[in-house]
Amino acid sequence: MSEIALAADFAIIVVVATVIGLIARQTGQPTIIAYILTGILLGPVAFDIVTDEGLVELMADLGFAFLLFLLGLKMRFDDIREILPAVTNVAFGQTVLQTALAFLVAWALGFGTVEILVIALATVFGATPIIVKILTDKDEITSLPGKIDVGVLIVQDIYLVIVLALFATDELGGAADIASTLGVILLMMSFIGIFSLLSSRYVLPGLFRRIADNKDVFLIVAIAWAFLFVAIAEGADLDPKVGAFLAGISIAQLPYSKELEDRITPITDFFILVFFATIGLQIDGLSSLLAYWWQAIVASIILMVGNFWIMFYLIDREGFDVETSFLGSLNMVQVSEFSLIVGALAIDQGYIGPDVLGYLSLMALLTMSVSTYLIAYNHAIYERLEPWFSRFDSAEETDADISTYDDHAIAIGYDEITEQALSLLEDRYGEVVVIDRQTDHIEKLEAEDRYEFVFGDFRHTEVRKEANLKGAAFVLSSSVEREVNEALLAEVADDATVFVEAERIGDARALYDRGATYVIMTSHLAAEKLSEYVELYVTDRNAFDDAVARDVERVRGRHRRSADRLEARSTRIDPASTADSDADGTSGGESDG
Amino acid sequence: MAEELVIALAVVFVTAGVLSLLANQFGLSPIPFYIIAGLIAGRFVTEAEIVVLAQWGIAFLVFAFAIRIDFGDVETVLRDAEVAAVTQLVVVAPIAFGVGYLFGDLFGFADPVRNAVYFGAAVVLSSSLVGGVLLGTEIRQNLVHGRLASSIHFFDDLVAIALLLVLSTEVVTADAIAAQIGYGVVLVVAGLGVYRHGFPLLVRLADGDSELVLVGSISILIAFLAAAEYVGLSIVVGAFAAGVAIRSDGTQALEVQNGISSITDFFTAIFFVTVGALVAFPSLEVLAIAGALSALVLFVNPLVHLLSFVYEGYDARTAFLAGSSLNQVSEFALIIAIQALLMGTIADPMFDAIILAAAVTMVLTFLARRTEDVVYETVVARLFRGQHTRKVDERSSVDELSEHVVVVGYGRIGRRIVETLEEHDTPYVVVENDPVLWTELDAECRNYVLGDALAAYTWEKARVGDARLVCSTVDHRPVSEMVLDLETDADVMLRSSSAEDASELLDAGATHVAVPDVLAGEQLIATVEDLAAGETEPAELERAQRDYFRTLERYGFTTRDERV
Repeated sequence: MSEIALAADFAIIVVVATVIGLIARQTGQPTIIAYILTGILLGPVAFDIVTDEGLVELMADLGFAFLLFLLGLKMRFDDIREILPAVTNVAFGQTVLQTALAFLVAWALGFGTVEILVIALATVFGATPIIVKILTDKDEITSLPGKIDVGVLIVQDIYLVIVLALFATDELGGAADIASTLGVILLMMSFIGIFSLLSSRYVLPGLFRRIADNKDVFLIVAIAWAFLFVAIAEGADLDPKVGAFLAGISIAQLPYSKELEDRITPITDFFILVFFATIGLQIDGLSSLLAYWWQAIVASIILMVGNFWIMFYLIDREGFDVETSFLGSLNMVQVSEFSLIVGALAIDQGYIGPDVLGYLSLMALLTMSVSTYLIAYNHAIYERLEPWFSRFDSAEETDADISTYDDHAIAIGYDEITEQALSLLEDRYGEVVVIDRQTDHIEKLEAEDRYEFVFGDFRHTEVRKEANLKGAAFVLSSSVEREVNEALLAEVADDATVFVEAERIGDARALYDRGATYVIMTSHLAAEKLSEYVELYVTDRNAFDDAVARDVERVRGRHRRSADRLEARSTRIDPASTADSDADGTSGGESDG
Repeated sequence: MAEELVIALAVVFVTAGVLSLLANQFGLSPIPFYIIAGLIAGRFVTEAEIVVLAQWGIAFLVFAFAIRIDFGDVETVLRDAEVAAVTQLVVVAPIAFGVGYLFGDLFGFADPVRNAVYFGAAVVLSSSLVGGVLLGTEIRQNLVHGRLASSIHFFDDLVAIALLLVLSTEVVTADAIAAQIGYGVVLVVAGLGVYRHGFPLLVRLADGDSELVLVGSISILIAFLAAAEYVGLSIVVGAFAAGVAIRSDGTQALEVQNGISSITDFFTAIFFVTVGALVAFPSLEVLAIAGALSALVLFVNPLVHLLSFVYEGYDARTAFLAGSSLNQVSEFALIIAIQALLMGTIADPMFDAIILAAAVTMVLTFLARRTEDVVYETVVARLFRGQHTRKVDERSSVDELSEHVVVVGYGRIGRRIVETLEEHDTPYVVVENDPVLWTELDAECRNYVLGDALAAYTWEKARVGDARLVCSTVDHRPVSEMVLDLETDADVMLRSSSAEDASELLDAGATHVAVPDVLAGEQLIATVEDLAAGETEPAELERAQRDYFRTLERYGFTTRDERV
């Protein structure tokens, strides 16, 4: 029996990373720092008990590929369309100016020519996982500064993908070589990109509509899609991660991407841990990490301050108000984790020594730790500095308007219970968002084109965020799963009206205890109604006949209405493809066991 | 190095993805198709590292299984599965062991006894993963045979884990087995300890960061795996104990379970594909063993289950349907086989045969399901007709009645109706097919028939010809259609889950069809409007509901098995 846990390096990494992660959590540091520290501790710098070979290397690769896949999945053009021109300008300006600044700093600190180039290309600012994670935790990811930051990061990521592809190619001689490699990379990328866009338009919608109802097949096919692109990229001699990124983008434009994000995130979390640890593992020893310690500190300070002002200038120039510009810039003052990836690749290619990676790592560690606190307290900092910054205020600045749901009604699960209530809710709350995990329900809603909808399982965080559960004024859940409803009640605003469903009396009581406004109990209701009718039947036959006749009319009316809608829909959609929609109750979540 | 592995994984997932599309198209479980993907991908994916990843697949599979176990359910499961599962072990296991031993002897395997055990395990155990897909609608609709089959699945899984505990010894002696069991118990107790103290601490320290709780849960898994390996136990036992340690309640539970299920899906796909990839091109002896294995699983297993369920008092249809959903090789048999392969204690042909038979039976079980109504009507129903009549007579109690009401189903709704009828002193008969409810029926109802609502004799027994009303509380289309086809002048009230079905049933002659969802929707609208118009307060609603619950409880609705 071969040993898989005792002897496995990555098992050690995971356990140690958990311990350090828990400690870091107590001081409010993001997990990413804990993971890098884990690598440093387990690697040559300290105990030297783990190497980055075999499975560890594979998992690190997978982690990175999944991270890019996930990043691609988040690239919904619709989300950033409104601010896209502004964001592109900012991102472009920022990339150029910051590379120049990093170049100058590295040059002033006396690095060699190739090293300066690597450092300048690598020290792009804005660490996506950190910014996204903390802003999400603070619920600011959909605020205007948050959107600007995410937009800039996405554009930046495209740049990084190109830089990575450049570094992954084996031979880089003179400028002509670089130019031709760049050309080939761009060509290949555009081929794969076109393939991914074409498939996202013609192949994937049909494919995923068939499988989205089956959560196992859905995940496996999505992963297969990512791996297909990885293999293609590998075949074209490109960095396989570029493939993963493009695979992600092609799925991102489908309505199912939020749900998929939630399924891919845990896999990414798991592997990315190993990945960040291997960054630490690659530092050759304490001497490497500290080889350029004072340079790293000086560079960190200069670059953080410099980059803040670059970002502030660029965002301000696009006409956003001072507070937005300030927050948007403050969030972005850390070296991206990609600098370490670029550094690691550069080591592989022999452009730099481990000392320079040590310098980059130290810088990343320093700027990330500081910026965590800056982001966490961004509003407090702004309040302090507001009087001084108000000098940048000018009259014509207006913030682009970003639409999010607010004080709206949410219906979880589109079935006959919720369906009847939707128009009433629309009258009362203005906007209705339906969350549902079944493709045919979503298609119905799409065809009707009256209510907003989110495809996905309500259990998933991203799905709840997308519908802005916290801002909802009314929530109606047609799921009878107690844990789903409890999670719902834990997350909604205190003054929201919440209607939930329950099967059992005990569950209903627990839901009232947790603040439900009203608990619907369908089967007890049916029991009451049927027994009432039976009673009428045996006591007053005429009254029974009247009641039944009224009810029959109502049921038929309901059926006719939904049949009409069905007809409207079938003109657009091939009916064969929806024939096999496994009748999975109608709750927002499907049961796991 | 890593590049080759990435390519190998790409092969694994792309073939698995394509074949699972196929499975999805036909509404089948993807698992046999993963195995088939492995057969196709074959030699691309046999690197040592991939096999290690496959073992992580096993670990996560068992881990996720153990997390989901609700120990509160164990009692129900034992009540349902006891007799049938034990009969299965007593009757089928020895036969299978004998057949396995004969094969071992015939083909000259090194260790015929051990191989016979592997063969026997593959025959006896049935798959909860495949069964879950197979029985999805039945379990949701709360039909008796769905519940029975899933209880047996659960029982089989527990047996498999116990078996793995014993089989992970290299040399089988009483001492060695005792030691294994001792270590196993220690691990599970440690798991319970972590459940009580360690996991809550983890959640507290993680302070709302679900990523850390997830990684922490995986760390717990790793620690238990390492402990199991250290004392020489199967990793399955370690993974099981680790699963016991993870809490599946509390606010973090949704996130953590979602995370673990994603990671599990990722690794189990690798596991099933790898299992398929390890199979060599089948020789004649492999085919012979696989054929015998499949035949035992497909025919002998359901037959024994059928007989023992009937013996327990279930009607023939329920027994047949439950039995025929148990005719596939379990994923645990695959785990047992691959562990044996890694230990070098299974003969290659036996290994190949078990994997092949697993893939074949997992696909055939779905095909068999499409013909089971026909098989039931043409074969089973005839065989058991006499027996059915006798059984119904034995376990029913019906007076000379006429102008009575027939109530189908004795769940929540059925009980409520019976209560009303008792109040008005109207004669009634309850028709129910779950023998578990027999004592209650006997104690609470004046007239009842314990039998299959789809069999004609049940209705004869209920004297439906003289009835004035048939009221079915069962939301199952075949039952509703049966009621409408009855030769009686009685009025018919039915229950249905959608307005569309209800409309069809009304067209077919039903007097009234209750659609709980439509009722709930109407109540919902009324309540929302009342609230908005200020006619009622949330607090008042809550009070009214709580009063209502108390009334229900006075009638004993929560102390009883709360079924619809």
